[in-house]
This record gives sequence, C-alpha cells and structure tokens, in this order.
Amino acid sequence: MNHAFLLELAHVVGPDGLFTDASDLLTYESDALVHLRATPDAVVLPQTSAQVQQIVKLCRREGVPFVARGHGTGLSGGALPVKDGIVIGLSRMNRVLDIDIPNLRAVVEPGVTNLEITKHVAPFGCYYAPDPSSQVVCSIGGNIAENSGGAHCLKYGFTVHHVLGVEAVLPDGELVHLGGPVLDAPGLDLLGVLVGSEGTLAIVTKATVRLLRRPEKVSTLLAGFRSIDAAGEAVSAIIANGIVPAAVEMMDRLTIEAAEAAVHPNFPKTDAVLIVELDGPESEVDELFAVVESLCRQCGAITMEVAADPAQRERIWKGRKAAFAAMGRVSPNYYVQDGVVPRTKLPDVLRRIRELEARSGLRIGNVFHAGDGNLHPLICYDEAVPGQAEYAERVAGEILTYCIEAGGAITGEHGVGMDKRAYMAQMFGQDDLDTMQLVRCAFDPSGSCNPGKVFPTPRLCGEVPGPYRPHPVERAGLAERF
Amino acid sequence: MTQVEPLDAAGVAAALQSAAAQNLTVVVRGGGTKSAEPSGEVVLSTSRLTMGIDHVAGDLVATVPAGATLETVNDALGRERQWLPLDPPRPGRATIGGIIATNDSGPRRHRFGTPRDLIIGIEIALVNGRTARAGGRVVKNVAGYDLSKLLCGSLGSLAVVTSATFKLSPVPPYSQTLVATVSDIRRLGELARAVTDVPVAPTAIELQSPPHRLLVRFETTEQAVRRQTDLVRAICVERGATCAIVSGQPEADAWRAHEGRLFSSEGTILKLAVLSTDVADVLERLRTLTAERRVECEVIGRAALGIVLVRLSGDIGAQGALVSELRLEATGRGGSAVLLSAPLSLLRDVGRWGAPSDAMPLMRAVKHQFDPRNTLNPGVGAWES
Repeated sequence: MNHAFLLELAHVVGPDGLFTDASDLLTYESDALVHLRATPDAVVLPQTSAQVQQIVKLCRREGVPFVARGHGTGLSGGALPVKDGIVIGLSRMNRVLDIDIPNLRAVVEPGVTNLEITKHVAPFGCYYAPDPSSQVVCSIGGNIAENSGGAHCLKYGFTVHHVLGVEAVLPDGELVHLGGPVLDAPGLDLLGVLVGSEGTLAIVTKATVRLLRRPEKVSTLLAGFRSIDAAGEAVSAIIANGIVPAAVEMMDRLTIEAAEAAVHPNFPKTDAVLIVELDGPESEVDELFAVVESLCRQCGAITMEVAADPAQRERIWKGRKAAFAAMGRVSPNYYVQDGVVPRTKLPDVLRRIRELEARSGLRIGNVFHAGDGNLHPLICYDEAVPGQAEYAERVAGEILTYCIEAGGAITGEHGVGMDKRAYMAQMFGQDDLDTMQLVRCAFDPSGSCNPGKVFPTPRLCGEVPGPYRPHPVERAGLAERF
Repeated sequence: MTQVEPLDAAGVAAALQSAAAQNLTVVVRGGGTKSAEPSGEVVLSTSRLTMGIDHVAGDLVATVPAGATLETVNDALGRERQWLPLDPPRPGRATIGGIIATNDSGPRRHRFGTPRDLIIGIEIALVNGRTARAGGRVVKNVAGYDLSKLLCGSLGSLAVVTSATFKLSPVPPYSQTLVATVSDIRRLGELARAVTDVPVAPTAIELQSPPHRLLVRFETTEQAVRRQTDLVRAICVERGATCAIVSGQPEADAWRAHEGRLFSSEGTILKLAVLSTDVADVLERLRTLTAERRVECEVIGRAALGIVLVRLSGDIGAQGALVSELRLEATGRGGSAVLLSAPLSLLRDVGRWGAPSDAMPLMRAVKHQFDPRNTLNPGVGAWES
C-alpha cells in the first residue's frame, strides 16, 4: 500500500490508531468465522465520526476498498478484510452519549457492546431488547450491520425494530442522519434497508436505540421431552392457543450433554428440552403460564422446572446460551449452521437432518429458536482427520438446501457475509438480486464499502438511463452489466 | 388519462415498462383512501390484484395480494382467530398495497407498530419490466437487503407492491377500553404521560380533543384486561379524570367515532411527530395558536409515541400560518410536521413536508436507481421538495 496514503491515515487517527505490522494485523484477519482469513493492508481505529469521514474520503480518493469492523464476533465472514483494502475498526468509538429514560431512548457509538446498553439503563428499570448469544462482547454497530436477533426476538423483533436512527458515513465520505429519536422522519425508510446490509452500504457512527421497560413479571419453564417431535408438538400447541411467548428455545440430547459438561445448568437427561419464557403484566403472565404448563404436560413433558427466582432463570439461560461454545466439550471442532424453516416444517427438516447425520457419519447437535423456526445445527468434526473440515462444511451446506426447499431462509441471524454468498442464488432469482443491488448502487456506486459480501456476483452500477456503454471492466470480461 | 388494471405482478411490470418506454408518468392507485397527487398520465390500479390470500396459521404468517382490502384480509385470517394487527382509517377500502406505500397505521400502533414492523416479505414490479422478491415467508431472515422495509412509506415512488407477507397476531380473547376525560388539554397531555409510566401493556394509548379524553385499550385474556384497566383507572381518577369503561359494541362504536373525528371527510390533516415528553407542550402550543389564528382544530394521537394528528378547518391563509408555526415548534424539538392531506392551495403555500434533511440526496439516488425516468408517482416524495 502506498506509503503516502498510510501517512495520511496516520495523520487522521494518530500514530497509535494505525496498524500495518503483520503481527498487529493478525487479529483482524477474520471474524468469528475463523476458517475464512485475509490480511488487510492496514487497520485504522478512528475515535470520532469526523475521523471516519476523513478515512473514507481518503479511501475514495485512492480507490482503496474498506471494511468496517465492530468486535469481530460475526459468524459469516462479514468483516473479512478485502485484498488491497483497509479495515476500519470501530472499537474505540465506544461511548454511551445520551440516555433519555422518559422517552426510552439511548444514543450510543457503534463500539458499545449490546449488553453495555442494558447495564447503563438497568438502574432505571429498562433494557435493550435484542439479545444475541454473544451480547457480552458483540458491538451495537455489528448488530446493526447484521440485524441481530436473539432468543427473545419471537416477541420483541430484531435490531431493525429497536434502532430508531443512525448517523452514518456514506462511501463518499458524506455524513447522513437517517431516522432519529422522534418517529416518522419524512422520506424513504433508508434506515430499514441499512440495518442488516452487512456493512455494504455505509459505516454507522452513532445509533439511537429504543429502550424497553422491564416487564412486571417473567416466568420461565424448562421442560424435558422424550423426543424432539413431542417438544415440537408442545410449541405448536402453545402458538395454536394464541400465546406468543417472549422466547421458545429447544435443544437436543447432544447439545444438552455438551451444555451440561460446560456450564452445569442441571438440564434433564432427556432427548429434548424446551425453554419457554413468558413476560408482561403479572396478571397476564400468570394466567397464560398455567396454560403453557398444561400444554407441555399434555404433549408428554416428562420433567418440568419453573424458575423460582432470577438466579434459577439465569442458570437455565446460561445452559442455552453456552450451547455453541459447549460443543467443544464433546467434539474437537464444530461448524455452526444458521438456517430458518417455517415453524410448521420443523419436524420434516429435523428428520432430514437426522438422516443426514446417519448418512454422513458426523454427529449433528441441534439447538434452535423453536418459536420462529431458526435452526442452529452444530456439525461435529475433527480437523485432524484430513478432509473432514471440508466435509463438515458440505454437510452444513446441505442443511441449507433443506431450509430453502422447506420455504425458509439461508440465514436467520448470522448474515450472508462471505460464507453464504453462493447460496443467495438458490434462495433468490437473478431479478431479485439485481433489484437489491439497486440500493447498493445508490449508496455505493464505486463498490468500495465491504465489497464482495452478500451478493454472489459483483455488479456494476451503470449509468441509467442513456445509451449503453460498456464499462472497461465489463469489456475485459470481468463482470456483467446491471 | 389511461387506466390499467393488471391481473398479476407480471402484468404490472409490463404496464410500467411500457409507460416508461413512452415517457409517460404513472400514478398508482389502491383504494383511493389517501390523496394521490399530482395525477399521472397513466393510472395503474391494483383493484384486480386480489387473488390468493395464503394463510399458514401454524406459522402465524400470511401472504396477501396488494389489491385486497385490509378488511377482506382480516376477515379471512379471522377464521383461524388470527389477524394482521393494523388499524389504519377506512379498513373497508384501504388496500394492502396502499397501506404499505404509506406505512399507514392506527391507534394500535402503540403495541404492534406499523406495516414496516410486521412485513417479512414482498413482491414488487419495477419500471424496468421485472418483478422481484425480497425477504420471504419466515419471520426470522437476514438474507439479502430488506427491500420490504424500504418500500414501506415509499409512496409508490420506487416500484409497485404486488403482494406482501406479514407476521400475524392471535386475535385476543377479550378487549376493553378505558375512556378518561379531563378538563383541559394540558391535563390531557400530563395524564397521557402518567398512564405511559404504569407497568401495563395496552394495545393503544390514544388522546383526543375536544373533549379532552384519553382512550386506553387492553386486549388479552379477560382477567388480565380487567386487572390492567383497574390499575390505569386508579391513576386517572387520582388525577381528577372522569372514567368510563366500554367493551363489546359500545367499545367498537367509541373507536369508530374516534377515527371519524379526523378521517370522516376531506380536509386538512397535519401529522406532528415529536418526543412523547413533548406532547403536552405541543398540545398547549396548539391550543394557543389555534385560538390566536381562529382556526378550528380536532386532535387525535398516539400519546406514548409522540404522534399527534390534527384536523384543521377555517381560512386557508390562517391554516398556512398555523402549519408554519407548528412546523417550527416540531422541528425545534427534533420532530416534523407533515400535511397528510390538504387543499392544493395550502400545499402550494407551505409544502407537504417541511425542511429537507441531509439524507435527501441519498433518497434521490435510490429513487433514481429504481425509477430513472421518474415514471412512478412523480413529485410525491419528501426528497423532491
């Protein structure tokens, strides 16, 4: 990379905000999807929106692509560096700027962690609702990029429902404000499409988030079942009775064993456990919780444990949230898949996964958000066995085809990133993908903001309308015209 | 003016492409419940896009055609005791496509949000002659850009929505509304604040004036409805309000009358958006200004969300002056004041939207990508002011 350019970057962020040594760059080679790696030419760590603007303007001038990065907890390679590009790390922009309890709003910088928001507002009886399993470490900027969910999004929705406004730096270096603390800002809902765009449209430098008041009552049930099917029936019965729980989570025997070995949540030794949580006004929760207990019993629950206090609830959730990491206790390596099926198709798809497990010879643990059909199969493998890592990846990929065939989606919360670009064409037609890229062309016509992510093939933002003129890259046969 | 009524998404796309090729402008029309201005050379009606409501009750989702009215859709979903929890004005005429295009909602926005919060998938037809889908039929889905949210509130200016998939809610077993009346508008604002702080989960906290009333609706199991209503009533009585509780037909009538205050006839409707803590001050200011300007006004609004809808009548010049003053008041508080409907002369005088934001160039760029020849609903967007 051009030395003069690096000097200019150093001038913007100060010498301690620029990293170019190979050893310093190691940290930034991948996000939490560690099998995809690339080394950036440089990493810059700005501390203000103005610095982000200056960096992006320099990149634009030099034609250098850039990748924004939060705390690197992403699971789809969304923050994977690009060749000849730089990484703009937002970890030093980590201030909580404003808390407005009467209006239930907080303004934060992108490097603030998800859980930190809740910690700041908890003394006022409030919390920030989206709760991805990585909430202790993941950044709000990353949550916005991925439209993160969590166990409680069945009732409360995703990041897109809780971020009311952002300040963002566009790929040309201009600063824009989309939405804000007041609802219904005039104009197009660009915020609605920016959230979940995986860092390909802009770099968010501030976010106004919605806070919720802690519900008056929370009731949590841990029920053990003889089979996944029986647990699934209980979920269907709950929904059919007009009850929308705050969360419904399911784990199978393998993930129960793993969680037990790792964090000792004292789960029953059954083929499936269901965690059902209701929250809201006490009168409503008490009445509906009794119905949920009775439905679980009718569907064959063999153990039932109701959290008597917050400590017991926390223990139950610890078992669930540790499920991914816990797989390390029962398998040397594992691959986390993220797919979605319509809830009514869960039994069919789980049956196919069990057949795949038998056929492939690889153990597959299942932990999932049962209320909304979001599966997280964990494919166990041993990278010491030659070829097994690649084999596990193929097995994981086959599960995605089951999801698509069932009318579902290739990712419910981890994002497409680099990992699943190839599957986009299975879920969407070319016209669908081209239409999505119209948005990309409006935000980032030069394609310098996290290029190569989300879409299976890059597209050129041609001049429209007007006579057709082949782009030089197109003439060279490197891309096709949009 | 030509009117076209395509039968399906492909037909819409073909009509749009043909109009664009001839440099004709197209105005998209649903139930005609919102003012569509200015008119185009081609009117594209969604009235025949009504076939095939696909409801999967077990998944709590439904895919519905753009030309279907909300009432038709909810009648169909109601057979399985589910509904699309939106209550914009005139549900018997308002179409799904129009509701998405305007991101319209009603009092239950308090609990359920707007179409943007409920939509999970969309099919659109574009001026380039193509149709496209985004999202899907599952609630949790982060694959690709979420065009469905971008289309919500885009006023038919980017593409024509041909069908959409929504997450649904169970129809609650019981509903009851507390009507609390106070003596003046400032007290109303204060009462709304107090009620917002009570740990209950209403589906609507709605203010109306005059007379100065707060309507708080609960919809869940009967026992939980009664307990929550009692809690809120105690707060209201403590603050000097006269309270009544309605259920069944009288409740339905009360809500119909509430909506009718603003939407029963043509006229000027201004939407003020501010922080909920500013609602009391804004109402007070509204009272002073309307008295000074001798403009008649009626107000309804989502008290806890900071959305206040004002119906104005009287001299157009005075209305214009009032709108400008209220706009200053709202924008000074970080909000906005948008004319949802108004006589053309008033729109010419003060504009629909107010001051543009720094995002307008980006909005224009998005519009240009989707509709490079400015074929669709030209002139309607805030980015064109």
